Amino acid sequence: MAKIDIHVNILRYRPESDEKPRWQEFAISVDDESTVLDVLNEIHWQHDGTLAYRRSCRSSICGSCAMKVNGRNVLACETPIHRFGRKLKIEPLSGFQIIKDLVVDLDPFFEKLQRIKPYLILDKSLPDKEFVQTPAQLEQIGESTLCILCAACSAACPSSWPNSEYLGPAALLKAYRFVFDSRDDGADQRLEIVNDKNGVWRCHTIFNCMEACPKKIKITEYLSRLKLKVVENSL
Amino acid sequence: MYKRTRFYDFTYYNFIGSWAWILHRLSGLALIFYLSLHIWVINSLTYGEKTFNDVMTFLNSPLFKLLEVGLWGVILFHAFNGARIVIVDFFKGSLAHKKLFVALIAAAFVLWALGSFLLLRHAF
Repeated sequence: MAKIDIHVNILRYRPESDEKPRWQEFAISVDDESTVLDVLNEIHWQHDGTLAYRRSCRSSICGSCAMKVNGRNVLACETPIHRFGRKLKIEPLSGFQIIKDLVVDLDPFFEKLQRIKPYLILDKSLPDKEFVQTPAQLEQIGESTLCILCAACSAACPSSWPNSEYLGPAALLKAYRFVFDSRDDGADQRLEIVNDKNGVWRCHTIFNCMEACPKKIKITEYLSRLKLKVVENSL
Repeated sequence: MYKRTRFYDFTYYNFIGSWAWILHRLSGLALIFYLSLHIWVINSLTYGEKTFNDVMTFLNSPLFKLLEVGLWGVILFHAFNGARIVIVDFFKGSLAHKKLFVALIAAAFVLWALGSFLLLRHAF
């Protein structure tokens, strides 16, 4: 590991004193193998203790540290800075209100998630031992269960930016995950919820969500399957 | 809390999918504009034969021939990318959307070149 000098521009916003967000530049020296989160920690611990950002697991599983770095949504903890060269431009996720610095208000995001009923809905009685699910049935939803709810997809979606009512890729992916779950009986309810102008039909297959997903989930593909299911269901 | 509602986040990186979407919207708007213009021009028929013929002679100028070549490109882009969107959404094409874009736009380009040749053959 060698030390390198980098310039980091961070969009700062302090609700108590700032009317609108402003850029602040930090010139710091970090290890060349650092991640974006290491850089933020370095700034927070050594240069400016007032910098606010979310982080928790630092191993890309909690989904706390999604932010926009050099124009793309990434998880700060898993993204090495050598991807960006010597200049970093770090912003909070687009499409959300900023609470402070890089911390955005994710309440609407989780509220939309609740709207599609993200839990198993059962009509039938519980089986004696366990639900039997074939490998093929699991395969169908396997990848979509990997979502860590970091909101990188919804914040990358041009359909979401101007329209806060749009459910967004994360909630719709969760709808897919339950609609196509062989154990679940709530498909009809969920399909009715997503069959809306601010539901699945607001997805214009722009694919930004798929490019942004740190778990490489094929979100747009699943949303297309969900659209087909909605059409099939209403025939 | 600071509210950042944006019509479009211009600082976000544009991937192939987003370019396709932006150009699809812009070409759609251009086509709406053209269609209104077209109807307005055809409206000159109601002012009699002479007016109509004068307008048609005016529209046969090289400048309008060039604009027609542009219009042909806009139509082809909108049609071929529209086909791509249908394939992506309803014919399981989403995983190949970038290849589809390149292939369909290449096909559109060939048709554009061919059509432009035919349009401009007698113009100058």
